[in-house]
Amino acid sequence: MYEERFDKRKFDELRPMEAETGIIPNAKGSARFKIGNTEAIAAVYGPEEVKPRHIEKVNKGIIVCKYDMLPFSVPDRAKPGMDRRDIEISQVITNALNRAVILEDMPRAMVNVRIYITQADAGTRCASLTAASMACADAGLPMRDLVAAVAAGKIGDSICLDLTKEEEDFHEGGATDVPIGILPSKNEIVLLQLDGKVTREELKKVIEIGKKGAMEIYELEKAALKRRFLNESKS
Amino acid sequence: MINVKNFDIVTPGELLSDERNGREGTYEENEKVYSQFLGMVQISDRGINVNPLAGNYYPKEGDDIIGEVTEVSAKYWVVDINAPFYTRLDMRDVNFRAEEGELDRYIDIGELVYARVFRVYTNNAADISMRGTRYGKLESKMVSKIDPVKLPRLIGKEGAMINMIKDETKCDIVIGQNGVVWVDGEDNNRAAALSAIKFIDEHYVDSDLAEKVRRLLEDVRGKI
Repeated sequence: MYEERFDKRKFDELRPMEAETGIIPNAKGSARFKIGNTEAIAAVYGPEEVKPRHIEKVNKGIIVCKYDMLPFSVPDRAKPGMDRRDIEISQVITNALNRAVILEDMPRAMVNVRIYITQADAGTRCASLTAASMACADAGLPMRDLVAAVAAGKIGDSICLDLTKEEEDFHEGGATDVPIGILPSKNEIVLLQLDGKVTREELKKVIEIGKKGAMEIYELEKAALKRRFLNESKS
Repeated sequence: MINVKNFDIVTPGELLSDERNGREGTYEENEKVYSQFLGMVQISDRGINVNPLAGNYYPKEGDDIIGEVTEVSAKYWVVDINAPFYTRLDMRDVNFRAEEGELDRYIDIGELVYARVFRVYTNNAADISMRGTRYGKLESKMVSKIDPVKLPRLIGKEGAMINMIKDETKCDIVIGQNGVVWVDGEDNNRAAALSAIKFIDEHYVDSDLAEKVRRLLEDVRGKI
């Protein structure tokens, strides 16, 4: 049984978060998102000419996303470069951003998104997606909405929000991890994966709690994007 | 119901109104108007506009732009105009007689040209032309880049800001509508003008920007 969380949080409480934009001057847009010990940095380049040429679309733009964990981000050294897991996560993030960015407005163009994990403590794909959507907005791309993503899940018999690595590896009763990404103002799910076992009713509750957490993240994202301009007007 | 005020800063996806009165920088879904950009709201009688606070240059016909030559071919130059796509300057569209195959004698790689956008394709690629006496090659390499969406602040009301910078620094300044600014003058003056442009780039949402720039220029000149 899992009655109290390892870090004494409530079951529907997020870890402390930080968000910041405009951290990479050479990129068109950039953002940093930190939740607990997980930290992701995203940079957006473009729109620009498509390379390689054969992936070009004549009626809309494309997003090319690369997710990578830096060698020092995990206790064991992570091998630099893309492995199978990185390719999968890049793909799900691309799919989510395809819904968020209005690609029809930039035919024959390509947007490059680079995401690096500097610290990993579970929930990296959600942190990456959140950071990437903020970076896209910072780059001035036309977007339908920002994306807010968070992992929810089940540990033992209790439904939890924002799992840590310690909780993901919980053995008695097993742990289930469900990353959820939503377009908050449309209430539309753009990322939903499941790793573990849940019943149908439990999954509904998990998604419910995940959406609630994502709304909190959305408020932080909005504040972070606006902060740069509000601060400047005071100085 | 309009949910926002004039000069509010909005993020993409923020609900603006449900009156179907969205204009530039907005989109409509289920009869509601949302913002497309991270931008500033401007409400007029005709509807709601969102002006992006950051963004790319998309060429428009008739824009005067400054570009850098990146490639010379037998019949045309390839010019980087700070837009998503590279641009072609054909040898027939220049205001001097060019010999085919010897185009690098006139304009070489790395040199700057002042030209006009005369054709825009559906994918926002453009062709430029140098026909007309006001266009040509720019000699000096002193350029500064500013986000194109910030250009209105750099120019000011009827050119007030840019004329003030020109008068204060005694520099010759040419602004390309693609966000490239070319500055010519004595070394010290040029540095002062460039620092003013950089200041506007960073502080363009400030109120009474003109006063601040004037103070900055006086400061810089005091040190020299």
